[in-house]
Parts: sequence; structure tokens; C-alpha cells
Amino acid sequence: MRLQRTLASAAILLALGLTLPGCSPSQPDAQAASTLKIAFFSDNTQLVSIDPFQVYWIEHRVVLRNVVEALTDQDPQTGQIIPWLAERWEISPDAREYTFHLRKDVTFSNGEAFDAQAVKTAFDSNKAFAAELPSTFGATYLAGYDHAEILDPHTIKLVLSKPNAGFLQATSTTNLSILAPESYRKSAKERSLGAVIGSGPFKIEHYTPESGLKLVRREGYRWASANVQNKGDAHLSTIEVSYVPEESVRNGLFLQGKVDILWPRVPFSEVDLQLLQRNDATIQSRSLPGPAWNLYPNTRNERILADQQVRLAVQKAIDRKSYASTVYNEAFPVVDGVYDVTTPYFRSQGTKLAYDPQGAAKLLDDAGWTLGADNYRYKDGKRLSLVYNLAGKETPGDVLIQDQLRKLGIELKLKVQTTAEWAAANAAGNYDLTFTYMTRADPIILQTVLDPRSANSSTLATNTYAPAVLPLAQNLFDAGLTATTPEQRAQAYGQLQDLLIDQGSAIPVYERVWQAATSKRVQNFRWSAEGFAFLNDIEVKP
Amino acid sequence: MSRYLLGRIAQAALVLWGAYSITYLILYLLPGDPLSIMLSASGMEIDALSPEQLAKARAFYGLDQGLLERYVNLLLGVLQGDLGQSLTLNRPVTEILAERLPQTLALAGLAIVLSLIGGVGLAYLAAYVRWQPLKVFLARLPALGFSVPVFWMGLLLIQVFAFGLGWFPATGSVGFESLVLPAVTLAIPSAAVYAQVLQRGFIDVWREPYITTAFAKGLSRAQVQARHGLRNAALPLLTLIGLQVGNTVSGAVLVETIFARNGVGRLVQEAVLRQDIPLVLAVVTVSAAAFVLVNLLVDLLYPILDPRITHAPKVT
Repeated sequence: MRLQRTLASAAILLALGLTLPGCSPSQPDAQAASTLKIAFFSDNTQLVSIDPFQVYWIEHRVVLRNVVEALTDQDPQTGQIIPWLAERWEISPDAREYTFHLRKDVTFSNGEAFDAQAVKTAFDSNKAFAAELPSTFGATYLAGYDHAEILDPHTIKLVLSKPNAGFLQATSTTNLSILAPESYRKSAKERSLGAVIGSGPFKIEHYTPESGLKLVRREGYRWASANVQNKGDAHLSTIEVSYVPEESVRNGLFLQGKVDILWPRVPFSEVDLQLLQRNDATIQSRSLPGPAWNLYPNTRNERILADQQVRLAVQKAIDRKSYASTVYNEAFPVVDGVYDVTTPYFRSQGTKLAYDPQGAAKLLDDAGWTLGADNYRYKDGKRLSLVYNLAGKETPGDVLIQDQLRKLGIELKLKVQTTAEWAAANAAGNYDLTFTYMTRADPIILQTVLDPRSANSSTLATNTYAPAVLPLAQNLFDAGLTATTPEQRAQAYGQLQDLLIDQGSAIPVYERVWQAATSKRVQNFRWSAEGFAFLNDIEVKP
Repeated sequence: MSRYLLGRIAQAALVLWGAYSITYLILYLLPGDPLSIMLSASGMEIDALSPEQLAKARAFYGLDQGLLERYVNLLLGVLQGDLGQSLTLNRPVTEILAERLPQTLALAGLAIVLSLIGGVGLAYLAAYVRWQPLKVFLARLPALGFSVPVFWMGLLLIQVFAFGLGWFPATGSVGFESLVLPAVTLAIPSAAVYAQVLQRGFIDVWREPYITTAFAKGLSRAQVQARHGLRNAALPLLTLIGLQVGNTVSGAVLVETIFARNGVGRLVQEAVLRQDIPLVLAVVTVSAAAFVLVNLLVDLLYPILDPRITHAPKVT
């Protein structure tokens, strides 16, 4: 009996406890006026790290762009490299020696001075890490770096042992940003979990993997690059980033005003777009530089796509215009080449990517694939059936491609796998079509995807070319890498893009547009060259 | 009694060993090549490595040992409290669990408390009410609670209490407020089961002769229900609580994803997706251990709550 009474009173107390915190209304806080809240779709669970050198996850690079700074910056409009922590630089005629003259007024947020020694520490630490873990993402940015010579406290010469035409652009990225020497005294694991000290307008207060991170303003900042309009301290005092995997919850948080910037990875659907716009949201869009969202064929081991005619038929059978307008919306750009348009040296492939069902049918007929009674094509009793490997889930876009190919008698089997299985299948060459992408505002990024000597998956990179074509592609990669003038690079990468499309080695599907919805109170959201945001330019109105 | 206890502990150990072994077999034997999966989980592709590097990696993950040898080594590690290294997080599994487990324990604990309050309260009310339409309505409610999908209920609660009324935050794992909606979501199906079982219990108990005796003594309906009815009808709930612990981990997978919470449920979901075998194995082992422990406790509590039940050997 007594027990029951105790239980009852405990229950009442508990019920009170539950309702009380709910009753207190959120009090208007002066702090809230200059706090920006960003909701991303997800943290990277494959590689838990915000160490700039290792990070490829673009959500992390958005944050890092505002915490750590690089020697140079890149103009989002022209792709030109402009001064940042380095006031100017000279490049030797053989493009092996880069001499940077550094700003003298820069300090890291822990008080350490930014000087030639700090730059040397950063580059040497990165080189040591890349030697330890060659597959790390930053390694390709650093390719060829040999050593640094300190000419005077604010002049440093970076010496390459082999040419790397992308090196200057690499010095503008978050991946080769200069951290405070204190950060490099810590282990890579500590850096991965947030021990990242930079010279940027914000400092990382804490990072909780899969949950979120918090940035606070750094006082006394005055060395923004010409890309940023605000030359002094950031307008915002705090930035709270959260990862919300569930789409409806993420959208709801934004529509309720609990989040100021809604920033998922994939572009908004038509329905979401209308809902957001009805609620006074502004949609910010930018094509992410680097390869477009392309399919890559497996041309090896006597698979069906070993036949170039069939690859080109697939190229013609995809209706990219209706893909952009039905999967996304009428205003969505139609993919126009191997790269997204924001990539320097992008070359439009024009009519080669036009929807041409008759042309595709003719190619297939000529290749001996004839329509059977079930409307699929057959050759020697074998159905024209392609396995398309997907990581995690199938999207409406995948189903649309399946449908478009079916119209030409091609069966596309969507094979949904976990990310780990998908990567293993790529490595084993167990697919007919697969996909992959990386983001960097330099055409050299394609070497991480499609050059077997430096790609994430050398099997995928090898399989995409017919055996006779691989040496041609590698020559063009080398020509692009060793070029010393912009003209040479334009020629090499232009030919490479033509080759990939003419061979049907890359089958573009859509432009990788990154969209963020900003609420009415967010002002002056602007994109960087690599598709990140200048958070120190943003102001929020109460 | 102590003999019974020893027997039960041996049984529990056997269950744990079985859970571990079956998970091991599924994870290591069913999918393709564990080496390529493990390499790709730790950020490398098997095709980018030379044969010597592959041999080194194989030795590093213990994959050069035979199936049985590897299994015995892993098991010995677990017995010494070493659950291994997570492949993708690059940290000891015990450390990760220590970080994530409190979140899920708080969620599960509150969910169990709420489901008991909700379930018992509903059944108690249904038994007490005499107006037939209301009684029927209350009696039908558990069926509804159990058949509504957890994820839908979660989204609905967010819509109403977070977005509509603004009482609780929709996401996050900071503070008690953020615990309420996920715990309620997780509690509803269990509360429905408790209510259903308790209602049956009340119906049966009302027919017992001692109830008639209690009324004959002049006790009011409320007194009879509280003193004689509830105590006898509530016993089966104890078994159900033991079972619910098992549901919590699987329920937490959904709930923690919907509410963007950092717990073991989401951890295991992510670990399965990236095929982080040691981590999955560890979470399964830990949740099996919790399940076994709670059920052992429940069995030991029975004789204390109901003297009619005894675990001592019968004297003939």
C-alpha cells in the first residue's frame, strides 16, 4: 500500500517534471540575434574527421573554409587564384618552385604568429601524413611537394620534385590550409576530432561527430581575401551546425524558424522547393566544381559495355533534359559535359549529349542487338542487361534512367548495396555501370576519379576505358599535370573531356548543383569557388 | 536457491555465447570478402594495394588465421573485456560504447518508465470505469497504439509537439527536454502491450473468489481493485518488461534516426551500413548481455513479489 502511494507520487512528480521544461517559453536572447543555425543532412560516418587535410566531405569543408585559411584564394566567378595569406607569389618557369610572400599581420586564434615557419610546418606535416596514409584525400593536392625553404621570416619557397599544374589551386583549398603549429603537435586523431586551430574569422568550439559543431567568432580578424566583402570581424557571434538525417524533420526545423540555413546534399525536389518558397525562403544554388554526376562503364572482362557502340547508345538513350526537369525542376540546369560548368577548363559537349533515341536504336541494331518479343534486345540469345550498382538507396533519378533505357530495349538492373559493399564491388569490377564523384575547383580532380595511377578505386578508373584508350587518357592526364601555361592545360583537359564522351567512358547524367535554403533573416549568403559559403559575410536580422 | 541461481547464470552465459557466435557467423561468413569490406570501411580499396600490403592487412585484421582460430581469439578478447577496434572510427569499441551507451540507456529507461505509467494507467482506468462505451473505447486503445508504426508516430509527435506547440525540441540529445518526445515514441507500443495484458489480467482476477471475499468484507470497488486486483493482475507485466529491453535497441535505431540523437541505435545502424564488423559484434554482445541480465533479474524478483512462486526444489 505504501509502495503504491510512493509510486503514485513519483508518477505525479515525473509528470510535472515532464511538463515544466516544456512550459518555459524560449526567452528572446540578445545572443540569438547574432547566432546562425545551419542544418546539414548528415555527418560523414565513413571517415570521422574534420582534419582539413583528410576531409573530402563538403559539409565539413564549408565549416573549415571559415576556420582555417590558405595561402591563396580562388575567385568564384573567374576561377583565378588571388592573394589571401600570401600577398603575392612567383612561379619558376619549370613550375617546380613556388615562392610565396606572406602577410605579416596574421595570427592564429591561439596567439601563435603566422609566418614562413608555420607554413613549412604545415606542408611538412601534411607530407608526412600522406606518406603514412597514401589514400588520404589531401595527398593528391600535395602531389609532387618535396620540401620548403624559408627565405626570410615571411617568404617561403615550396619546391616540387615533379610537376603539378594543380598545385597553385591546391594552395587555395581548405585541404592545404595552414593550421597553427600547435595543431600539428597533436595527433591526427585529435585533429580529426576538433583540435583544428586556424587563422580564420571563426574558431571551432566543439565538434561532436554525427551530432553537430559550434563555431564562435574570433575577435581581431582583418585579413580576409578579396572574395569576402566584410574585411573585419564576422557579423555573427556564433554558428551552430547540426546534422539531421531525417529529411522531413530537417525541413520542419527550417520552416519553424529553428534553423536559418537548410543545407541538404541533394538538390530540393519541386514539391519542397515550392513549399520553401511559399515560406519566404531564398534558394541559393551553385554547381559544384569537379566532375558532373556521371556514370562510369565497365569495359573489361567481355562485358556488354566493352562494345563502344553500346556505350554510345546508352549515352544517347539518356534524356538529360527531362531528367533535370522531372527529378528536380524546370529551372534546373541540364548537364553539358564531363565536368560541372563551374570547373575551370570546362568544355561543353553540346549535341553529343543530346537525347537521340533513333540514333541509339540504330547503334544497337548495327551492333547486333535486336529487339525480342518482350521489347528487350537480344544478341546470341543473351539479353542486353546491365547491372548498375547503387550505394545505400535508389533515387527517383535512378528509376527514371532505368525507364529511359527500357524504351530502347536495354534492361538496367538497379543493384542497391551498402556503401561498403558498393566500394568492394567497384574494386572487384563487379558492375556494368557505377558512379563516383569528388569536388574541387580544378580539372585535376578527375585524376582522383579516373586516372588508375592515383584514383580512389584504380579498378573503376581502369575499367572505364577500353584497353587501347587507357594510354591515351593517361597521356592527357600527364599533359594536364605537367602543363606550365593555362593554354597547355586548356588543350589537355579539353581533349580529355572530348575523349571521355566520344568513347562513352563517362556518361553524364546531371549537373551536381548544391542548394541551400536561407530564411528571410539571413542576408548576404555568397558562394566560394568550391561551393562553400563565406560565413563572415552573413548577417542575420532579428 | 543458490543452485537455481548458478543454473540461471550458466544459462545466461550460454545465451550470450550463442548470440555472439551466431552474429560472428553471419557477419564473417555471409558477405563476400571480409578483407575487402574491412579495407573499404577503413578508407582503402583492395585494388589499390600490392600483394605484400594485402598480406600485411590480412594479418592485421587476423584474417590469415583459420575460421575457428580467429573466432577463438576474438572470443578470448571479449572475455577479457577487449571488444576490439572499430574500423571506421579508428578507436577502441569500448570507448565508443562508453560514449554512446548513456544516451540510449537514458532513452530506454525513460521509455520503460513512461510505458509502465501509460500501460498500467490505461488498463487500470479501463478496469475501473463502468460506463460501457468508455470502457470499450479504453479497451480498444492498446490495439491502436501497437499497430501505429514507430517512425510515423515519431514524425507525428514532432509535428504536433515540436513544430505545432513548440513544447519540446524536435532533435538533438542535449538536456532532458530533448529526451521526452523520443521516449514517448518508444514507449507507446510497449505501453499498448502492457495495457492489453493487464486488462486481460483484471478480467481474470475479477472472477477470483478472493475478490468476492474482499467485497464481502465491505471494501469499496476502488480499494478492491488497488489492493487485491492490481497486485495479482500485474505479475505477467514483469516478464514483459524483461522482453521490452530487447525491443529498445531495435526501437532505438528508428527513434534515434528520426530525432537525430547520438545513441547506440544509430551507431549500430551506421555500423551495419559501413560493415564495421567489430562494432556490430560488440553492440550485439552488449545488448544481448543487457537482455539476459534483465530477464535474470525479473526471474529473481518473482518469488519476492509473489510468495506463491518459489525457485527452491520441491520437497516430496
